[in-house]
Amino acid sequence: MDEYISFEQIPFGSDNFADNPEPRCPCVLLLDTSGSMGGMPITQLNEGVRTFKQELMMDPLATKRVEVAVVTFGPVTVESDFHTVPNFSTRELDANGDTPMGAAISMGIDMVARRKREYKEHGVAYYKPWIILITDGAPTDEWAQAARQVREGEDGKKFAFFAIGVEGASMDILKQISVRSPLKLKGLMFREFFMWLSASMKMVSSKNPGSTINLLPPSGWTEL
Amino acid sequence: MMWKAIGSSVAGTSHAASGKPCEDAVQYCVAKDVNGDEVMICCVSDGAGSAAFAGFASGYATQMMTDGLRMVAFSGAAISQGDIYALAEDIYYGLAAAAERQHVPLNEYSCTMLGCYITKGRAAFFQVGDGAIVRNDGTGFYLPVWWPENGEYQNSTCFLVDDSSFGNLNVVITEGAVNEVAIFTDGMQLLALNTEQETAHQPFFTDMFRFLRMANDHEKVNVLHRKLGEYLDSKQINDRTDDDKTLFLATRIGV
Repeated sequence: MDEYISFEQIPFGSDNFADNPEPRCPCVLLLDTSGSMGGMPITQLNEGVRTFKQELMMDPLATKRVEVAVVTFGPVTVESDFHTVPNFSTRELDANGDTPMGAAISMGIDMVARRKREYKEHGVAYYKPWIILITDGAPTDEWAQAARQVREGEDGKKFAFFAIGVEGASMDILKQISVRSPLKLKGLMFREFFMWLSASMKMVSSKNPGSTINLLPPSGWTEL
Repeated sequence: MMWKAIGSSVAGTSHAASGKPCEDAVQYCVAKDVNGDEVMICCVSDGAGSAAFAGFASGYATQMMTDGLRMVAFSGAAISQGDIYALAEDIYYGLAAAAERQHVPLNEYSCTMLGCYITKGRAAFFQVGDGAIVRNDGTGFYLPVWWPENGEYQNSTCFLVDDSSFGNLNVVITEGAVNEVAIFTDGMQLLALNTEQETAHQPFFTDMFRFLRMANDHEKVNVLHRKLGEYLDSKQINDRTDDDKTLFLATRIGV
């Protein structure tokens, strides 16, 4: 009987786990900071990016696994290269200049390819990268090349590309760039959008029998 | 020494948060062959997170496989690779029929499958998709039978229903005694395997088998079985993985 009780109380299990690098989920935000975003839109976008970080920080695994990079346009500027969530920060973005969307998209795609090479070199497992484009206008540069790169990347399962149009965005051109249907932001609900994005990224680790990406239904922040 | 086995599947925190049930499954039993010798049978499966009937598929696959392997034990014949392929085929067509009844594509029944059939002097291991089978090599060193197969991305792998000719089903028959085995789904992979060296993380398995070796009656094994479920749902595990996780441990080593 004594022996039985002692068995009940044994510290069964192990906390000696393999010390592997966490698998990473890279995410590039391509943010339109052209002149037309001035005023409330840029204020709300800044607020949205802060919300994105806060929401991801609340999830212990997303905190370790998600890596965020930020590219603004125009002009095309890497505001922040890939960083895990705790180390990710951007300055307060301001709005001016034109809308070199094509160059920004190409830049984002290059960054994702480079990041994957770095993961491979260091034996880090990773999830499919996400590229998120947010714009309120139409490209002022040559965008056919970027559209081709998006299509090739999606076909080759190299990344998932999402386009979000703010009031004033040329949804027609976004449709020609993005293989997935672009979504239209309702009003200036950047905060709601980024909450949705962070929630979707937290789900990313579930396994896939197809090429689909598991997204939460985009409720609340999109116009139908 | 007789086989002592414990095994449990526990929902990951991401599944719990989204209201999804656990889509991992584990079935195991100690069967007797015609000579009265013990046969340790186990099958583990991980239903693909985005497949609509993943939970059904993993439950069905593990049940069918263990039932089939029990029949092999009763038959008295030594297990062959053909036995495993034949059972995989039965499961494949069972899942295909279920998909037809539900009018959904077969990949809505995507699941991995891995397991063992261990007799006194012969063992069969099988695996399709990720997760791993780790065995004691006889010297106390823990060795993965295969390195888990993930695609380019951490969350991609192959599944039982991907290929009706089972090009991605690995089967191996080994001669000689296997005295200890652990089988787990990919939710435990990053904790129990060292990805850089492609080895099993020895201290993890030493810890996990320590008390199972000491357990010398059913009651103690039952206590450990319960504790395994609690352990798989503990903070120390959930801080490291949000996926469903299954761990099966069996030993015929005593102390």
